[in-house]
Amino acid sequence: MNQEELNNKLSQIEDKLIAIEQKTGNRIFLLCEAENNCAVNKFLFEDVPLRFVTATGIDSDDCFEVLYHYSYDATGCIVTLKAFIRNRENPSIESVTPFIPAAEWIEREIHDLFGIDFKNHPDLRRLILADDWPEGVYPLRKQVNGEAAKPSLPKTSVRPSPESPAHRTVRLCKPVLPVGPFHPLQEEMEFFQLSVDGETVTDIDMRISYNHRGMEGISETLQFDQVAFLVSRICGICSASHPLAYVQAVEELAGVTPPDRARYVRTIINELERIHSHVLWVGLAGHFIGYDTVFMWAWKYREPVLDLLEEIAGNRNNYGNVKVGGCREDVPDEMKPKILHEMDALEKKLEMLTKAVLDDPVIHARLKGVGVLTKEDAIKYAVTGPTARGSDIGIDVRRDDPYAAYSELDWNVITRPEGDVFAKAVVRLLECLESVKIIRQSLRKLPGGPIAIEVKEIPPGEASGRAEAPRGETFHYVRSDGGNRPVRHKMRAPSYVNVPSFRASCIGSDIADVTITLASVDPCYSCTERLGVVDSHNNITHNYDALLKLSRAKTQKIKKEMRYEPEDLKIE
Amino acid sequence: MGAVFEARQRKGQEMTQALLSIFWILIFPGFVFTVVVGLLASWVVRKVSAKVQYRVGPPVLQPFYDVMKLMGKETLIPEDAHRIVFMGAPLVGFAGVLLLSTMLWRISISQTTFVGDIIVAIYLLVLPSLALILGSSASASPHAAVGTSREMKLVMSYELPLVLALVVVIVKTSGNLSLANVAQDTTVFSISNLLAFSVALLCIQAKLGFVPFDIPEAETELGSGVLIEYSGALLAVWKLMQAMMLVALPLFLVMVFLGGFGPSLLAGIGKYVLILVLAILIKNTNPRVRIDQAMRFFWFYCGIALLAAIILAITGKYCDITWL
Amino acid sequence: MSWKIWSLKKSPWVFHVNVGACNNCDIEIVDMLTPKFDVERFGIKLVGSPRHADALLVTGVGTRQAVPRLREVYRQTSKPCVVFLIGACACGTGIFCNGYHVAGPVDKIIREEDPNAIIVYVPGCPPKPEAMISGVVKALSSL
Repeated sequence: MNQEELNNKLSQIEDKLIAIEQKTGNRIFLLCEAENNCAVNKFLFEDVPLRFVTATGIDSDDCFEVLYHYSYDATGCIVTLKAFIRNRENPSIESVTPFIPAAEWIEREIHDLFGIDFKNHPDLRRLILADDWPEGVYPLRKQVNGEAAKPSLPKTSVRPSPESPAHRTVRLCKPVLPVGPFHPLQEEMEFFQLSVDGETVTDIDMRISYNHRGMEGISETLQFDQVAFLVSRICGICSASHPLAYVQAVEELAGVTPPDRARYVRTIINELERIHSHVLWVGLAGHFIGYDTVFMWAWKYREPVLDLLEEIAGNRNNYGNVKVGGCREDVPDEMKPKILHEMDALEKKLEMLTKAVLDDPVIHARLKGVGVLTKEDAIKYAVTGPTARGSDIGIDVRRDDPYAAYSELDWNVITRPEGDVFAKAVVRLLECLESVKIIRQSLRKLPGGPIAIEVKEIPPGEASGRAEAPRGETFHYVRSDGGNRPVRHKMRAPSYVNVPSFRASCIGSDIADVTITLASVDPCYSCTERLGVVDSHNNITHNYDALLKLSRAKTQKIKKEMRYEPEDLKIE
Repeated sequence: MGAVFEARQRKGQEMTQALLSIFWILIFPGFVFTVVVGLLASWVVRKVSAKVQYRVGPPVLQPFYDVMKLMGKETLIPEDAHRIVFMGAPLVGFAGVLLLSTMLWRISISQTTFVGDIIVAIYLLVLPSLALILGSSASASPHAAVGTSREMKLVMSYELPLVLALVVVIVKTSGNLSLANVAQDTTVFSISNLLAFSVALLCIQAKLGFVPFDIPEAETELGSGVLIEYSGALLAVWKLMQAMMLVALPLFLVMVFLGGFGPSLLAGIGKYVLILVLAILIKNTNPRVRIDQAMRFFWFYCGIALLAAIILAITGKYCDITWL
Repeated sequence: MSWKIWSLKKSPWVFHVNVGACNNCDIEIVDMLTPKFDVERFGIKLVGSPRHADALLVTGVGTRQAVPRLREVYRQTSKPCVVFLIGACACGTGIFCNGYHVAGPVDKIIREEDPNAIIVYVPGCPPKPEAMISGVVKALSSL
């Protein structure tokens, strides 16, 4: 379906809508009342069909709005459904989670932050606010601001008793762990809790809140150009992609296009980040399955890429290089030979590593068929990035909704049909090689000219921007009222949709595969540390270290069964 | 008059004996000597491991600093823990290894052996593992509990092969149950002896808590599982115990399988270093195994090897073939 | 200077606590502990339990959910111990100070637990591994 046909298809549901607004060629807004929310969402998700991206709650003066964002990847169009909830006293709307499992978390989050009730949501527990956050205080509502939005903290840290609401937030948490002051690792275990039956995983529950810093709220207190620095700290390794997505949203809002050179510089920096992020993942994956040589090797060879980034942007990890209208730092022409030389050296190492992974029979045996995410589940959970591309869903924001300089360069989207951990590993490794290609082309084609343009005013309006981070699509939605701060800024990291898909890929699998399955989604480092397993039969719990050992031991067992003699990986 | 003089002489001798025994246990070759050599040996292990990983590694006195620092930290005892067992377990383990080490060195140096001391050695060998199990189960922590159950399974796996390996040697030396005589009589380079030695070496590897049989995480040499609730001085005692095991256990292997700590001091030290090097090599060239893998390895593969060794030993004894 | 502090300087075992960080500092900490920088030279070792730790490496801004955990971890670290606050977030919340879910800054929380705590600040966003090692070594040698 091309854009024409999409527009025609969308007009089929016109009777349920208030209006259809076409902001630009690629951004369509559908407006409806809260009552028709479910019908329209069902149409969009199942009949068109579109990929669910995220949902945004907004506190407008006279009503609440819930925005459901969808993406049509064939043309890169973002279709947003705005549902208006007129009843401000008891805002409620029908939940879409029953037919869009990917919406489960975001609806819980909007419930936490705005107090909107989602009817028929299967599990509307607290998700993102702390255990001791008082009920009835909704931090993102407009009438609550300043210190009033920040309830005071208790001075002592009292462990919540088993009957308290806090413990009810983790559904599966039977108090198998003794309540006593000397067990610090307990709290780490409340993050992911899996129920197992012997060796097989039967259920999973997750508690997130530890890293919630209230970025969306802080963003409303900062000016547009300050927000770019804020969002680069959403996640350490996607720290180039988040500001890029945000800045593109604001540029769309303001109707400006950055100069050509800026687009190419953005491309170079983002691809360098992709390389070092994927290589980091390869090292971690090796660590999980017991190949510590791969771990040391991968982390050692990340360093030259980080050094390059430090030379260009001034920091190994938080670049602070994008701003509305262009870039802050340029890639000096004198650096080009050095970067090209590094790319040559890196390409050799990457090819060696790729071959080693693709040819190693133990890795085959260990990772193939493990943690399979079927294509149907992948669509239901609306995953993105290598997680999706490893399950035969060929989506990539760089190609679908091109930004920076990607549409002018020649590169491939890597997809694999199997959906297991091995497929995702292959996707990531081959993507590294594609990134090297992209960087080389960008350097050769790097145009002259200014690195940024001045943007003085941000007019009122709303816009969305996205970028392909190493983990998947980052999505930012910005609404402005003409002032110099965002009225609402929604940020969605790719791990937000990828991590819940862990439920589909993990249930029914072996306990020794739990760490590597979660790792294949490539969540942020601190997510994977908080993993715990509750064996309901034997009442024993395994923590992250124990699961890691199980994972590595399984590799050994496989090695022995194959009577495999590994060649030494030469470290140069 | 002469009787009184003799009695006084005897008393004097007994006093000297008593003082000497205290000296042996506390200074040489007991506490001080074993601790110093043990901590040096553990430095060797860490340094070699570092070199293998292309690193520099810690300075020589690092293990001493570690123990000293631990003595100075506060000792936290979990509320739910069984206090007496929690505090007593490391001391029991420590005492066991100390006795074993003193005994083995005394036998090597002054040949003061007695019949059945090999049995005593076996009992003393079990003490550190037993202490670890007791200590971790007294910790009242779910993490320690997991470590405890794994440690118990591991001990069950390798104790029997270890004893069987000793049986091989006893058979070869025609039922000799005293260590010094075993050391003298055993033919080192016979098939059954070497088989038994290899099995015993791997059992010792497990007892020392080295890869591939380390139940605790390899990065933290103390074991995040079993020793998770220990801190301060009690943890220091565990550390010391593990260091002393590095002295006592290889020495035990040397005396039983490699012909004792002779004929010269240099030869003895050489044999001890050889075993240490073998343990380090195995540690650094193998990744970890899972507990059921370890059990299968010890009971099945080692069991078969030992059965063969025993048969060979008996055959060799009866047919008078020394190299079997 | 007591022998306890002296021996602590010679063998500082560290435990890493993340109380709401973006993971940049955490990754740089892992970098610091990998063989390239080899902090075992200084006797530094990563331990799996705060009970075994002499130094806490705290990263992150101190979110409301994570702060009770931090208090417990500090209490369970056997004293004497040093608290290293790694990164701008841990040193003083930085850009997150207005956040509704931020319960830091971390040093305030630690001081509430123990007014005499030894706290060392290693700023940066994130501090390079070299900066972290330098900060740790400098702090230890000035104790």
